[in-house]
Amino acid sequence: MIGKRDVQIWFRCNWRLVNMEERVSAVNTPANVPMTRRKSYGRSCMENPSLFWQTPGHLTTLGHRVPTSRGAARSCNVISKVDPEQIALLMKHEWKLAYVTPLYRFQHARLKSYSKHLTAFIVAERQQGVAIEVGTEAGIKVTVSTLQGIAENEDDAETVFIQIHSKPMFGADALKPVWRGWLTCVNGDHEYIKSLPPDFVSLPLFCSSGSEPLTALVKSWFERTFDCNFGPLFLNSTTLNWLAALWTGCHPDSNIRFLKLSWTMPTQPSLDIMYTVNPQDAWELWNSIHSEDGADDRIHIDEVQQFMNGLETHLFRHFKIYLSAGTLMKVSTSLGSAHHDGKIKIGSSDYMGTLLTLLTECALLRTPV
Amino acid sequence: MDEQSRAILQRILRKLPGKKTQNTLRVWGCLSAEQLQDLDFTQPKWLLLENIISKCEESRLRLKDVTKLEMVYHVENPNQGTWHAYKLAEAEDEALSVDFTQFKEMFISHLEEVVQHVSIRMKKQEDDAVWIRIAWGDNFTKPNHLKPTYAVHYLQTPYVFILNLASKHKPFLYQALVLSTRHAAINEAHLTGRSLTALRDLLMKQYQQVFPNQNRTLKERNISPSHPNIDKEHAEVAERTRQMACEAFGDGAVPKLETAVYKLETRYRGGSSDAPGDRDELFRGVVKFSSPNLLESLRHCVSTGMSESPVTPLLSSITQKGRNYFVIAEKVPGAASQTPAHTT
Repeated sequence: MIGKRDVQIWFRCNWRLVNMEERVSAVNTPANVPMTRRKSYGRSCMENPSLFWQTPGHLTTLGHRVPTSRGAARSCNVISKVDPEQIALLMKHEWKLAYVTPLYRFQHARLKSYSKHLTAFIVAERQQGVAIEVGTEAGIKVTVSTLQGIAENEDDAETVFIQIHSKPMFGADALKPVWRGWLTCVNGDHEYIKSLPPDFVSLPLFCSSGSEPLTALVKSWFERTFDCNFGPLFLNSTTLNWLAALWTGCHPDSNIRFLKLSWTMPTQPSLDIMYTVNPQDAWELWNSIHSEDGADDRIHIDEVQQFMNGLETHLFRHFKIYLSAGTLMKVSTSLGSAHHDGKIKIGSSDYMGTLLTLLTECALLRTPV
Repeated sequence: MDEQSRAILQRILRKLPGKKTQNTLRVWGCLSAEQLQDLDFTQPKWLLLENIISKCEESRLRLKDVTKLEMVYHVENPNQGTWHAYKLAEAEDEALSVDFTQFKEMFISHLEEVVQHVSIRMKKQEDDAVWIRIAWGDNFTKPNHLKPTYAVHYLQTPYVFILNLASKHKPFLYQALVLSTRHAAINEAHLTGRSLTALRDLLMKQYQQVFPNQNRTLKERNISPSHPNIDKEHAEVAERTRQMACEAFGDGAVPKLETAVYKLETRYRGGSSDAPGDRDELFRGVVKFSSPNLLESLRHCVSTGMSESPVTPLLSSITQKGRNYFVIAEKVPGAASQTPAHTT
């Protein structure tokens, strides 16, 4: 059964492991890892190479298990669980997304000391090559805290919220928030999280809002401190299609006000096509495709595809433009918006869980083994 | 110079594009040749502006000189703000013989009759365009020179283009325009865009149009270097598609529109006839096309095969009807006439 390709992967993994051992002092040796685990974190891939037999060329943490159906969006009164001020903060900004590999030896109990270290790190990095007055350290303050109540599943690690305050260059002495970001995991894949070696915490979704250099600094501190890796998280059309269908399905319970879809066509100069659908009409179309079957209301990918095809065909009948030649760039309703470049906005706290579950899954799918 | 004039002068000067400043001031003609020579146009903008303002103070310029500069600025930069196109209708017999003096007299008297405080400035450009600047006031307030309306009318044509018109002033301006041009009505042309020139070119068909019988000339002009691998048949198909795209959207440089909006009030046409999604009710929505140059994008879209041929009348209506806002309603069953785009 072992093909040439598999052997190559096998060797590459070994080589990677050696590298890791040089770099990281405390690697979990494969011997410590029980053989029963099917999924594994990259570092210990020696334990059970059979994973690669199953999914050649598809080396992500969730492997072949791209879900083809999911539960319909359910309203969840987050306000009762989470601090309303925090929720307001999450809904105020547009977030840039990234995926994160599991954090090594991250402890929620040590957030205070992380705050101090991250502050020191940012100050130190900023001083590189720049003449800075001694004693301006007070100009920056980082707070790392937990955001309780976002996690929905008992396997999910609590969400970590980071905020950077900085003293404005001119004017008032008060510190102003200049950057914020959070690492979260909502309904993360149970099997995958269970399969992580001890000492690893999975918070695969990273959302940030603020200046790009600060984002880079925070990422680099996390990468050094917890031996993890960040990567950009783009939202492909499948994800955007899911959101369009999930949000439209909410319409009877929570007015979505509009369903807006934007495509960009690769013409010269590029052409944007924005289709705003009446919410009631969109829902009726969705309702005619998706049949609710009792308590376990699951949505199948085929239904999502049919819904989107329905909308695209309707447009095609009018304008004769092949939307498939372009890219679906953005989906938005009053419940939130999601952009192909990996940017989201949360419009409703009640349906935040659905959005974050989907994004957590996207992040896990993008996370390399 | 009073406070108000100085404030307006500063605002306009700040808007002037750096490279054009010298020329604009020369066209304006309120500063003497020596004063212009004294100015150093390589100075940083803020310093230059201060110097210009002091020269204006020197020459004791008044509000009407300042508004003149504003008009020069708009004439030279006809792509600032959003222009709306209007079409005069039901021309009277004398409509074609209205000249500028007549128009000016009548327009001012009609407008001053209904609005007590109004300040009007009018100038005829070389291309027969009459530029009108209106600063509105009402019974109790002086004309507000910070928010003037601009109207551009091409004499002896039914076209008027308007910038910054508040809805409360609409009836006054409409009436003055209709009466002074000897028409009976004025309608919105449902055409808006940032470039006045583009709107004018589109409505007056002043761009390179391609007609079905021009087939041969177009082909000759676009001889592509022959390539042995390209099938002759393919080339012909490609040429036909291009021809079609040019017929619909024009050839060469096309008027620069930014958007086209379609309000769809049609029945759902998504699935096949027996699909569950098909319903009798309307499927409402709004489709907005946007691009830095919409017609060029659409032409490229059609000629590269990103759309099915022939070009749908919905899209070709932009040039055919000279508008970019449409309400698309379901055809009335039984009605013989095809009305793909009808007016609100």
